[in-house]
Amino acid sequence: MNLHLSPAPHVHSNQSTRVLMRNVLVALIPCVVAGICLFGYSAALLMLASVLTAVVAEYIWQRATGNKVRVGDLSAVVTGLILALNLPPQAPLWLAVVGSAFAIVIVKGLFGGLGDNFINPAMAARALLLASWPRYMTVWTAPTGLNSSVDAVSAATPLLTPGSYSLGQLFLGNIPGSVGEVCKLAILLGLAYLLFTHTITWRIPAVMVASTFVFTWLFGKNPLTSVLSGGVLFAAVFMATDYVTCPMTAPGQFVYAAGIGLVIALIRCFGGYPEGVTYAILLMNIAAPLLDHVFKRRVYGYEKGAKVQNG
Amino acid sequence: MSNNRTFRGGVHPLHGSHEGKAPTRGKAVRDYTARSVTILMGMHLGAPSTPCVQVGDHVKLGQVIGEPVGFLGLPVHASVSGEVTAVGPVQSVNNPAAMAVTIQNDFKDEWVEGLEPLGSVETCPAEKIVPAIKAAGICGMGGASFPTHVKFAVKEGQYCDTIILNGAECETHLTCDHRLMLERSSRVVDGLRAAMRALNVKKGIIAIEDNKPDAIEAMRQAAQGRLGVEVMALQTKYPQGGEKQLIQVVTGREVPTKKLPLDVHVIVLNVGTAAAIADAVIEGKPVISRITTVTGRVKEPANLRVRIGTSVADLLRECGGFSMDSAHVGKICLGGAMTGLPCPSVHIPITKANNGVVVYCAKEAVELEESPCIRCGRCVDACPIGLNPYKLKYLCDAQDMQGAAAANVMDCVVCGSCSYICPAHRVLTPSFKAMKDKIAAEAKKGKG
Repeated sequence: MNLHLSPAPHVHSNQSTRVLMRNVLVALIPCVVAGICLFGYSAALLMLASVLTAVVAEYIWQRATGNKVRVGDLSAVVTGLILALNLPPQAPLWLAVVGSAFAIVIVKGLFGGLGDNFINPAMAARALLLASWPRYMTVWTAPTGLNSSVDAVSAATPLLTPGSYSLGQLFLGNIPGSVGEVCKLAILLGLAYLLFTHTITWRIPAVMVASTFVFTWLFGKNPLTSVLSGGVLFAAVFMATDYVTCPMTAPGQFVYAAGIGLVIALIRCFGGYPEGVTYAILLMNIAAPLLDHVFKRRVYGYEKGAKVQNG
Repeated sequence: MSNNRTFRGGVHPLHGSHEGKAPTRGKAVRDYTARSVTILMGMHLGAPSTPCVQVGDHVKLGQVIGEPVGFLGLPVHASVSGEVTAVGPVQSVNNPAAMAVTIQNDFKDEWVEGLEPLGSVETCPAEKIVPAIKAAGICGMGGASFPTHVKFAVKEGQYCDTIILNGAECETHLTCDHRLMLERSSRVVDGLRAAMRALNVKKGIIAIEDNKPDAIEAMRQAAQGRLGVEVMALQTKYPQGGEKQLIQVVTGREVPTKKLPLDVHVIVLNVGTAAAIADAVIEGKPVISRITTVTGRVKEPANLRVRIGTSVADLLRECGGFSMDSAHVGKICLGGAMTGLPCPSVHIPITKANNGVVVYCAKEAVELEESPCIRCGRCVDACPIGLNPYKLKYLCDAQDMQGAAAANVMDCVVCGSCSYICPAHRVLTPSFKAMKDKIAAEAKKGKG
């Protein structure tokens, strides 16, 4: 009998990092399926290229830097898949490869790996691609269905021509847009799964959508169309909720999510871009450490407002 | 989710399997008397007692075998009658050389002469209650083992208006308090009344988690017609039975940092301690036994009333031994899964504070590998005190004593919630415990 002497606690929650990442991947399945059904196999290839690049880049980076290889935690798979779902369906494969490698090596690896990146890798990669190759990142095509032999017809997204699509189309995703963001039904299914498995809480998605709704409405746009257009819902569920880059306390998360909604509304209503989700999230990512500093939980046994440093 | 009161934060360990209590919660307490007992002199917090018997002496049940030392000192009593066979250091759960007295049981259970019962808890002289508690060697039986009479030492300017009996039993696996409340309900209430009378306190609250509806009902009935006693149901959530959380939930008060419950006019006693107080007052009997839950990977999990000093090996044998090949046993712990102490061997004697023995298989005992913090914030949500465990961990790893102290590491109650919930399996609570010990040792050095 070899008795272990490791200290308490002797039980652990079964939610490991790997399980959480797996939950996110399962939650993304409806979006993946919807993306392929709407945009054909080219969307599938895009996802494959992005995920493969992310995993290989993570492996090579960790080996090359002498760190323990932790590809098994599935975080690279999540990053790769989320990036692909954020690309236009007709984007060339090399764009996904470049973006994915940038996300893993530059944004994540160089800053210390999982947990140490200060902005969301997939979002930063999307911003890089948008700035470097706008030609590929702003060409949108109408959904072709599974039959990709039909030539894709370029079309304007609902963000450019509001009112040209019905709410039903916006909800089911029969509109031009990024692979994963168009089908709101699929996103909501994913959200339900993430909430059910306690992978995320309702705080960030709910507040971010509500804030986008309120601010676009205040700034004179149709709030419902605004929320259902572009990447608002997808980002609210899958990207603003990224653990690493969002604040950790409930009030911090409320302010963070509300801030994202405000920046989206500002960019969309007064800025030069029709979209704004990427930059809104990146901006608030940068604000997250500040929010963590400002919004701390009060420590038991201290008066309100007492000088408690609390980390 | 129940509507009963609770605190902010906390976790639900083993929630899917009734907090690990299912195997024993329906099992009535049965007596088990060992052939020999090894009674530690240092069972309570504070200086160990001095043995006052010698090898070869014949001792009677309840006879004093260890004299108290210092302010926090407590007498130690023989838990069986028989012959003293050894006086000397033995291995305890956290001390490789702890002074102990070993007695061979003659199974006569002859009580020592001169017990001084005070009679009914309602009519006995109130000023004699606290001395009786000390003489009976009572210390916190919920696990903290703080000498009970010291809790009643009200200083100038202090007063107590509420005594809380802790029947939360929020730790996993344990059912000893649950069974006690079911089977000796009125004794528990007697103990509370004695404690209330000792300090002339008007309000006594018995707090129980709502995963024990039968115990809540039993205690409500026992409390009927008893002056100032009420029962309060609390949400089932760990660490609901932590002293600070309990006070917060029951009274709405917070114990200020570095202060004691008495500073907010509260005394918290475990229900087992209350029963021991009642035994001491009504029958004049010292602590010679306690209920211990033996569970986990044993053939017949049970709630046993055991003599103090019974070895873990004897308890395991009494419960049919391991439910698996002993080669596959991974860990044996004194106490539940969140705070239990791992035993270095099976020859560890049970103390007044040992509420359970839990056996884990090798698979359950495997140490999970630490991986990078993903900043998920679960530890921040789980901390019942409101600390930032993820940040504190970096400070502790860097051995930054000042930084950790400024980040309130000394307010950590070492409940284990953050370690339990961390998806990256970071070693949080043990790091904080080590840092707390280090800072306390440093402060002591500075003073002395």
